[in-house]
Amino acid sequence: MRNVVAAALLFAGAARADELRLVSPNEIDYREIEIEHEGSADRDGGRVYSLDLGTGITRWWHVGAELEWEREAGPGNPTQIDGVQLETLIRLTEPGEGWVDAGLYAEYDRSALHGRENPDGVLVGGVFLKDIGRTTHTLDLFFDKGFSPDEDVSGLRFSYAWQSRWNIWRQFAPAVELFGQAGRVDQPDRFERGQLIAGPVATGTFLLGSAGRLRYEAGYLFGATDASPSGTVRWKVEMEIPL
Amino acid sequence: MKTLFALLLFIAAVSPLAADEPLRLTLRDHKFVPEQIEAPAHVKFKLLIKNDSAGTIEWESDELDREEVIEPGEERGIFLGPLDPGNYPFYDDRHQATKGLLIVK
Repeated sequence: MRNVVAAALLFAGAARADELRLVSPNEIDYREIEIEHEGSADRDGGRVYSLDLGTGITRWWHVGAELEWEREAGPGNPTQIDGVQLETLIRLTEPGEGWVDAGLYAEYDRSALHGRENPDGVLVGGVFLKDIGRTTHTLDLFFDKGFSPDEDVSGLRFSYAWQSRWNIWRQFAPAVELFGQAGRVDQPDRFERGQLIAGPVATGTFLLGSAGRLRYEAGYLFGATDASPSGTVRWKVEMEIPL
Repeated sequence: MKTLFALLLFIAAVSPLAADEPLRLTLRDHKFVPEQIEAPAHVKFKLLIKNDSAGTIEWESDELDREEVIEPGEERGIFLGPLDPGNYPFYDDRHQATKGLLIVK
């Protein structure tokens, strides 16, 4: 049954199905270059790695490009380049002015693997942030759709992410987070068999003088549904270099 | 109508109070003036930061989850709070030895 569910999810999968994406509306690296590496490794053998280059064009508009490679869960699968992604974030509110900060995020994924199971994809969504004292809470709601030139390979899918962080120290700020993929919004049965992983994460920042800042995140996420990997290690390292 | 009134009352009740006047901070000769600045606890306030130096600065506080690039001669505002009493460090990310402290009382 588990294999049937996994096959159904793979069949339905738009591009970037396994990427763990958490976006803050205030993450505009204006007058900075951002170089970022993210990765995740689950206990079923799945691996996703990415290398990202981005910058803030204005105080409210961030753009980036990303190269991603991955290995599908299961024995004997090769690690291969998955595709190239173009992403943009528009900040819609001034940080802290209103009750919640909001932004609009979009990305286009050009698959390097091609075919029905590895389509190109478009993802759009709202990203929200609320600071309460020394804590920061981020909520992302995404819709994505995969497509190829000659056929509709997947319906509209919904995914979400949440992180609550305690900004206790610069070098170490503990957080809890979750990532969910609810599946196709037009197929409730598949929707109910979505993935959900959640767990603790350590975050922090180190100052590197004129070289800028080094940010990190590292955590372990537990699977909360049958369709989820039982455990996933997630990490992120980001250099912010002033221009 | 009663529901709408109750909703407005609820929003008013949970909305934080806001300080009337913004706080002001200047960066001059690689120093924040003043280096320590006091803010009221449990209210929302605006911090106006003026860059009175020759180079670009980036005001940043990891504890407050805020950063702002400010060009020479420019003044920009940052919305903060409501905050619990305590000390909240900040610095200029372009000259990281330049530090200050927001004291919330």
